[in-house]
Amino acid sequence: MASETSPLGQFTIERLVSLHIGSLDISYTNSALLMTIVVVLITALLVGTTRHASLVPGRLQSIAELSYEFVLGMVRENVGDADGRQFFPLVFSIFMFILFGNLLGLIPYSFTFTSHIVVTFALSLFVFLFVTVVALIRHGIRFFTFFFPPGAPIIMAPLLVPIEIISYLTRPVSLSLRLFANMLAGHTIIAVFAGFTVALGIFGFLPLAFNVALLGLEVVIAALQAYVFAILTCLYLSDAVHLH
Amino acid sequence: MVAVPQMSEGTPPDPLRQLGQRLDRAQRERAAETRHADAPPPGGLGFGFRIGIELVAALCVGLALGWVFDRFVGTRPWGLIVGFFLGVAAGMLNVFREAKGLIFGPPPPGGDRREGRLE
Repeated sequence: MASETSPLGQFTIERLVSLHIGSLDISYTNSALLMTIVVVLITALLVGTTRHASLVPGRLQSIAELSYEFVLGMVRENVGDADGRQFFPLVFSIFMFILFGNLLGLIPYSFTFTSHIVVTFALSLFVFLFVTVVALIRHGIRFFTFFFPPGAPIIMAPLLVPIEIISYLTRPVSLSLRLFANMLAGHTIIAVFAGFTVALGIFGFLPLAFNVALLGLEVVIAALQAYVFAILTCLYLSDAVHLH
Repeated sequence: MVAVPQMSEGTPPDPLRQLGQRLDRAQRERAAETRHADAPPPGGLGFGFRIGIELVAALCVGLALGWVFDRFVGTRPWGLIVGFFLGVAAGMLNVFREAKGLIFGPPPPGGDRREGRLE
């Protein structure tokens, strides 16, 4: 099904180095390769530009400083000045990882690891568990009052508490689904229109023009989805720190 | 040697301090204008997409919880049925909260972000 010409062929996971521990397959895949590249690039960008930081930043240093200040502002505004600072490294790592993964995935012949729900769900599940642990440490048993809306009559508890718990458990699902679906849909549409370009011959310029526009839109979506993931992480952290 | 014409005796303009002041001013101005613009633009398609995902995700979680409950307690099919309705309700609640934040504008800066909670 996922052949070379299929629009879904681009999502195929390929083993680059086969590794097995017992029955566990921990092969180094193209997905893992892209993640490694992303981590190396982010580290190189941030460490390389700030080691010999000049007062008036150059181009690369500007990128590093802008992204830093952007995320810092986001964390400060949503979690709070004092509380937010300690969570900044987490939010910044997540934001940069997703942003670079999305953007590098747009390069032809590369691979988008955020288009796999395993990856996005692992990220969102980590955020979810982290936030829950933070809330439990901060508030202890009082955390569970989170599941009962303040001011509601106590008779409604048997109905409201399950709904609130499901609503809370939905967070990692919707968080991962949003990023995954956006990336999958965008890349599939681009590949479908690229297929039209080939099939239509001389009239192929029409889908080609459309694809150029789509690719521009995808760049925006790549940045926007990283932003959405990061800001939702901030909002969940804010909930954990302040409860109601 | 030619005497270098002195400027006023007091404080020579410190370039660093000046730069700092200029930066502070620029940051204040930028903060003022981006404060209300930081919410993602509520485009029609994106908004619908978010709402849809919110509904589906809550429904799936409700169904999954009901199914797991059934498996361990043996009340098939009632856990699934109750889970379905609770999932729908939770999805509606999530959509309501999300839409409230988007439609009625961003919450005041520094204020309570969980606007959508039922008060």
